[in-house]
Amino acid sequence: MAFARTSAGSRSGTRASRVNGVLLLPALVLFLPLLIGPLAVLLDESLKPYEAGRIGGTEGAELTFENYTELADPAYVHYFLDTFRIGLIVTLAAILLGYPIAHFIVRKASPWLAKLLIASLIGMLFLSLIVRIYAISMAYGPLGPFNDVSWLFGIDPRSPAKTELMVIFGLLHTVLPLVAITLISTIQNINPRLEDAALSLGAPRWKAFTSITLIMSLPGILSAGIIGYAFCISNLVVPLILGKGFVLFVSNLIYFRFSEISNFPSGAAISILMMLISLTIFYGLMRLVRDKNGEARE
Amino acid sequence: MSKRYADAFFFTGYYGLIALAILFALIPIVIAVVLSFDNRTFIGPFPPTDWSFRWYEEFLTSDYYHQGLKTSLIVSSTATLFSTVIGALTAIAIDRGRFWGRGVLQSLFISPLVIPTVVIGFGVLMFASRLGIVDGLPRLIMGHIIITFPYVVRTTLAALIGLRPSYFEAALSLGATPYQALWHITIPLARTGIIAGAIFAFVMSFDEVAVSLFLSDPFTYTLPVALLAQMRANLNLTIAAVSVIFIIVTIVLIWALDRIAGLDKIVGQGVYGRIR
Repeated sequence: MAFARTSAGSRSGTRASRVNGVLLLPALVLFLPLLIGPLAVLLDESLKPYEAGRIGGTEGAELTFENYTELADPAYVHYFLDTFRIGLIVTLAAILLGYPIAHFIVRKASPWLAKLLIASLIGMLFLSLIVRIYAISMAYGPLGPFNDVSWLFGIDPRSPAKTELMVIFGLLHTVLPLVAITLISTIQNINPRLEDAALSLGAPRWKAFTSITLIMSLPGILSAGIIGYAFCISNLVVPLILGKGFVLFVSNLIYFRFSEISNFPSGAAISILMMLISLTIFYGLMRLVRDKNGEARE
Repeated sequence: MSKRYADAFFFTGYYGLIALAILFALIPIVIAVVLSFDNRTFIGPFPPTDWSFRWYEEFLTSDYYHQGLKTSLIVSSTATLFSTVIGALTAIAIDRGRFWGRGVLQSLFISPLVIPTVVIGFGVLMFASRLGIVDGLPRLIMGHIIITFPYVVRTTLAALIGLRPSYFEAALSLGATPYQALWHITIPLARTGIIAGAIFAFVMSFDEVAVSLFLSDPFTYTLPVALLAQMRANLNLTIAAVSVIFIIVTIVLIWALDRIAGLDKIVGQGVYGRIR
């Protein structure tokens, strides 16, 4: 009897795994021309020497790393530093503003209010990027009624630093709902009774909150931050419009290589580098957070 | 006593940050809505002195925007169709399977979310040109399928995680072929996740700009690309009118998403990944 069951089980097992193969086939067929192929072509292009006036790298020439080595030039490093620095500012601001909202939705809001706030967050996330950028430039731009808000940050509205603030606002408007939504599930997973216990033992509210709920949500905060950061550093359109040429991200550099000067080999090299950085940040840090979290539990 | 002050200070900060976040989110949107009814032909000081529907009329009668809207609808619905069908099957296989390389495959299928969209746009453009595809439409559809694919995989996986595999196995032991079991058991059970994924995919595709900037051609451009070009040329208020239309569509979509899948479920299951 036992034998019969095992053999039936293993038979259905192989059948099921064959089905799995069939189910995965379309995706693999899809990813070949849509992701693997394009990335391979970019890698190939990035190793070709660039010839001015010609669209695309020189065919048949010897492969070169020149397109990569020239990126070590301080002029290029500057783009990378700006991208990473502004991304970090936006991510930190998104966590600072997003955490209280997420906490409020999970712990304090009535079901009705919680639902309204969640709907608003998803609405804010779904809102067209173009609409967002336009709305922000109309509200905080030079003609907007909130132009002078920049004084709160010690920035003269007429100075170039103002455009950086606009880029930060533009990115924050998207990253804030992203971070808040991610944090909701984190806070949902923390047992509220732990905080109650601290309170009943005489801890002040702020201390119960910071030393229990906040500390326990640190892994969630980090992963929400990583997701937000990955979004920030790969953005093209926000710096393109709100940065007005003063603030340029690596994405803008790639786009200019393509649209303005048609230096495809260099654009491809920057693309490959940027992709490796994004993948490393995302999967590397995520894994780190996950491992630390696992250790803490054991 | 000092405990009470510290708590009062703490709660002021807490509610202050919440108020700040809500203001920050709402102010630009309110301004855009108000400006869409501005009658002035230039961008003047806020608030407008004269009101009209002229910018709505301009949007509704402009061939330039119509062309963009038409392309956007074709590209987004085609891309959503592909990524929903294939993405759902992929998620089912990943959820079912206990095979070697499963984690790697899952990372691969999610990776278009992490790879900068500029890189995807540039890559697809160069790949398509080497294949001899120079038309905007097929290129746009290619790019949009790959960027929407991860959303469907994620939401379907999230819907499947709570599901016991025994349903599928019960169907098999009752004599169903794996495909029958899949079609009659697994797919209906994952339905909400698949539909939520389709809505996410459509929204993200319809809103996408970076990939479309690379893949559009002078005659085939999506609506966001058309709007972006207008915005770079001159800040004209047609975009404010479009914004209001977009906001209304967004509200309808959120309502649909809530009816179909339940918003708290989507948030609770973490569309953007979470730590387990």
